[in-house]
Order: sequence, then C-alpha cells, then structure tokens
Amino acid sequence: MTLAERLARRRLVVVTGKGGVGKTTVSAALGRLLAQRRRVLLLEVDPRENLHHMLGVEPSGGEIVEAGPRLLLQNLRPVAVVEELVRERLKIRPLVKRVLASPVFQHFVEGGPGLKELAVLMHALRMVQGETQVAVDAVVLDAPATGHGVSLLAAPALVSQAIEHGPIGHLARTLAAFVADPAQCGIVIVTSAEEMPVQEALELIALCDGRLGRAPDEVVVNGLYRPLDGAAPPLWAARRATNEQELARLVERWTGPRVELPLLPLDRGPELIAALAQRLQ
Amino acid sequence: MSFGAIDRPLIVVVGGGGVGKTTLAAALGLVSASEGGDTLVMTFDPSARLKDALGVGEAARDREVAVQSGTRGRLDASLLDARATFDRLVQRYAPDDASCRRILDNHFYQQLAGNLAGILEYMAVERLFEVAALQRYDRVILDTPPTRQALDFLQAPERMIGFLESGALKLALRRWFDDHGRLRATSRLRALGRGIEGLLDRVVGLQLLREMAEFFQIWAPLYEGFKARAREVQALLRARGTLFVLVAGPGEERIADALFFARRLREAGHRLGPIVVNRVHPRIAGGADAAGGMRLLAWLGERDHRGVHALRDLLAPDDLLVDLPLLEREPTSLEALEALGRAFLGRLDAAAARAPRGMPRRGRKT
Repeated sequence: MTLAERLARRRLVVVTGKGGVGKTTVSAALGRLLAQRRRVLLLEVDPRENLHHMLGVEPSGGEIVEAGPRLLLQNLRPVAVVEELVRERLKIRPLVKRVLASPVFQHFVEGGPGLKELAVLMHALRMVQGETQVAVDAVVLDAPATGHGVSLLAAPALVSQAIEHGPIGHLARTLAAFVADPAQCGIVIVTSAEEMPVQEALELIALCDGRLGRAPDEVVVNGLYRPLDGAAPPLWAARRATNEQELARLVERWTGPRVELPLLPLDRGPELIAALAQRLQ
Repeated sequence: MSFGAIDRPLIVVVGGGGVGKTTLAAALGLVSASEGGDTLVMTFDPSARLKDALGVGEAARDREVAVQSGTRGRLDASLLDARATFDRLVQRYAPDDASCRRILDNHFYQQLAGNLAGILEYMAVERLFEVAALQRYDRVILDTPPTRQALDFLQAPERMIGFLESGALKLALRRWFDDHGRLRATSRLRALGRGIEGLLDRVVGLQLLREMAEFFQIWAPLYEGFKARAREVQALLRARGTLFVLVAGPGEERIADALFFARRLREAGHRLGPIVVNRVHPRIAGGADAAGGMRLLAWLGERDHRGVHALRDLLAPDDLLVDLPLLEREPTSLEALEALGRAFLGRLDAAAARAPRGMPRRGRKT
C-alpha cells in the first residue's frame, strides 16, 4: 500500500520531527499529494510564514487561502483560535471585549501549558468535522518542531491528566482520543539520516507508542545524499556513509513504513514540492 | 590564539534547531580551556556521541563535571535539568518547609513543572545565574535550548516579571471561593450569581478555577523573591560581559531567520557578536558541467554561497559574518572539536580584520 493510500481516510495528518529536517517541505509535498483526491487544508503554526514559498503563493496572513487545485493554506495563530472560542461561548459582546483585553486572559493563553497545542488541534478537528465556514476533507498540519516542551501530540493527554473536570478537561480528552485513533489521525515523522534527528525520531516513535498507544503511519527520511554511480567526491562519500549508518540505526528500531527522499538540485518552490510529492507516491 | 571579537566571560550560543549550536559551544569550550582559561560549557541536549566525547553522561545532569581534556585550563561541562533547577528555586524562596512542600506536592506543579511554556528557557538562565555566582570560571559558554523560535529563551525573564507584576497575579491571589467551594462574588447575587457561576463553569470549569486559585495561593510567599531574581537574570543577559553568538543554517531560505533573530536580539538590548552560517557546502570549480552527484554537490555549493552573500549584503558593514564549511563528519572527538573551535576563531579574526571597525556595537538595528 502506498503512503497516499494509507493516509487516504485520515482526516488529520500531523507532520512532526526535529527542527531543520524539512518538515515544512514534506508537509507541502504531502498536502499536494493528498489534494489529488480530496480537499486539503495545509496548516502552518509559525509567526513567520514559510509554506507559501513552497507552493508559490502569497502568505496567508492568518486567512484560509487557495494554494492549488483542492489545496488550501492557512497560517494559524493559536491565540486567535482561543479568542474565537471565547467569542462563541460568551456571546455577550462587551464581556468578550473585556475578557480578550484583560492581562489575565493573555497570560493564561501565552503561559498555560498545552493550551496553544490544544487550540491548534481543536481548530483542525473542527475544520474536518465541517463546523467551520470552510469545510475540508483533510488537514495536513506542519507541527512545530518537537524540541523539549510539550509536544503537540502529547499535549492533550498531558492536559487531560492535569485538568480532569470542566470544558477544558473534556476538550483535552476528546482531542487525546482523536490523536490516538489511527483511523482518524495520521502521524508522519520527518527526519534526516543524521544522529540527532534520528534520535528525536526514535523518541517520537516511543512517545506515540507509550502515550498514544499507537504507531506513526510513516517515517520520511529527508535530504539524503543518495548513493552515486562511480567515484563520489570525498565529502559526498563521507556524508553518504553517515546517512547509511544512521539509516541502519533507524531501521533497527523502526520496521514500519519508511520513505526516503534524496537531496535535489531545486530551490524551494512548487517545482521541488511536485518532485517530492511524486517520490512520496 | 585569543578569543578576539568574542573575548567575554559569558558567551551565549543561540539559533534555531538543528544548526549545530551544541557542537560549536563545546568547540569554543575546548579552545578556551586549552588557552588556559577555566571554562564551563553548559549544554542542554548534546548528542550521545558528543556526550561520550566530553565524558558527560547522566552524572553531569544538573551539576558540573570535569572533562578529561588535558587542557591547560580546567574544562567542566554540565547538562541542564529544568525540573531540578525549578525545585531548587522553590526551595530557596519558600519561607518555610511547609510552603515548600505544598508546592512540590501540588498536582499542577508535578504534572506541568517540566512542561510549562517557557519554563525550560527560564531555568536555563536561572542555572546560568547560579553558576555565575560561584565565580569559579574565567569563561562560561551557554548552549541554549532548541526552541522553535529560539527567542523564548530571551523573553523568559521578561515574561516572568511581566506575569508577576501584572494584574493577572493580583486577581488570581484574591480569595475567590468560600469554604464551601462556591464563588464568593456571586453567592451574594443569588439567582443571577448562580447564572454567572454556571457560565464560568461552561466556559472554563469551576473545578479548574478552584484548583488554579489554590495553585497561585501556595506560590504567594515566593513571588517577591522570584521577581528580584528574574530582574538579576535579565541584567546578566544584558551585561557588558555577555555576548551572543548567533548560529544559522546555510541556504537562502534561512536568511530571513538569521536576520529576524539578530534584530530581535538587538531590540531586546543584548550584545550580538558574530553571526555564524554553519555547514556551508564548499564551492566546486567547474561543477556545473560535471555529472550526477558532483553536479548536485556543485549546485549545493552555489546555493549556500548565494545564501552567505545575500546575508552579507543585508547586514551592516561592521556586523561580523563567519561561514563554517560542512565537514565530512560531525566533530565528536575532543581533537576534532578543538580544531573546529580554532577554525572558527581564525575565520572570526579574518572577518574582524575586514570589518570597518573591529567590534560589533550594541543597540543598533540591522
């Protein structure tokens, strides 16, 4: 079964991995691939927009914009989602205004552990459930780099443990169940074949297993110095050797689906994304 | 060899994830120690191989251990442990054992202390402050946590102060609930009060509000101490003896990241030293006509070269830009690390010699 076939029924696909491995590039390629059959929203969560460069369109500025056939793009501000939620729940306009302007609210949203992650996931879930004005079949989420804070995937479970009651607890439990359900939520881990990214990929696989009780759908190994015919320059040969060594370490612990993407002589942009989408297929 | 343009007692290595901050921090540490300075490298998340090279396993978590470097000066390394630092901070500022225990045993604290947004970053600077107070080192090199924005680290003390001074805290510290767990403010309002209570319950959840109120109350005795400390930490990051080294990845698409971060550092009143473009593919003469892998390598060389030049053009003439070539292997032996450190300082000297004035200045916007 191809990657596209495996992800064909997923409503949310979370693309995650260490910073600098090409998550945004892979997200764009994956979005393009899935948009061949379904209406897809590519969701980016970064104050500095990058995804639009990949698709050759203008930055979204927070709105949902067209980025190709059946392909939409949005740069999401998590705070905006929380604000929207307050508007919906409170309804009384002067009250809403006061709440949103208060430092209490701002500190709560900025500093509340896991809140932004919940907001992003909730937004994605509502999009695919048709609860928003623009409905899509699937959302591909270019998740923030894993780093060491609460990872986006672990946030719902973590919050639901800390907050057991009330609407936030309820939301956290709903999202935790959604992320843990392989029939609904796809998880794609991106890595390069280098020591630290592979380490983080293995930790993410363990996190999926331990906290979510499931496996990721795919590990994408990006930016490979591919094997060369004939003599390779020393730098290439050495980098290829590192790639092989780290691939071996990955494969030893991860026997699930894996796709390898080579370094290509293409600048970021639609041409590169089309080439990678083809290889993902 | 001197540390030239970065000869300061505290060097903070910053940049996005995966650009090689930790390796560069270790490399600078080795050169510093081999030149005779007693040096500490505080790292956050070294690779297994780098840990092996430095000889800092779990033993170095939250404490300084000696690296068997054979250098003239002493070289120590330590790994940051945000939770342990946080616990210590609580112990230091709690007025008595009982209030200390109340926090350490709190449900929220236990679940979230290691995960609170920005806490990791704050604890990195807090730990730095502890080490600076020891006055045991001639030079401290701090590798920063791999946050997405890499800015959270700098904003951490400010956020802490902002929160502690804001109305948010005063509000949180009010006695909101009566002994029966009902909202005090609304119980007087009878039916209307119950309506408001119901609304709050729907929006946030009363149980959560009760728990949060309790959480803030138990911290109350510590706030003043925390605030004073956050101010000191902030001052340390802006002190004359502190210099930031910004590391960026190669390629034109990374330029915006580097410029953005450089501007934010200066806006926040920090001293920005050299900007390092790391892992630059070398240029290959005649590569465009070559075949297969050679052609790709040549293309990568040209791409990175374009990126470095574009960045140079966007920086002020006296900003120091240092590019470091992609190595065949990531340096993980002490020798390879020291070689990297010396190569960096050599290129830094050359860049400083080319610059109109020797030193980068502070406070100016790029």
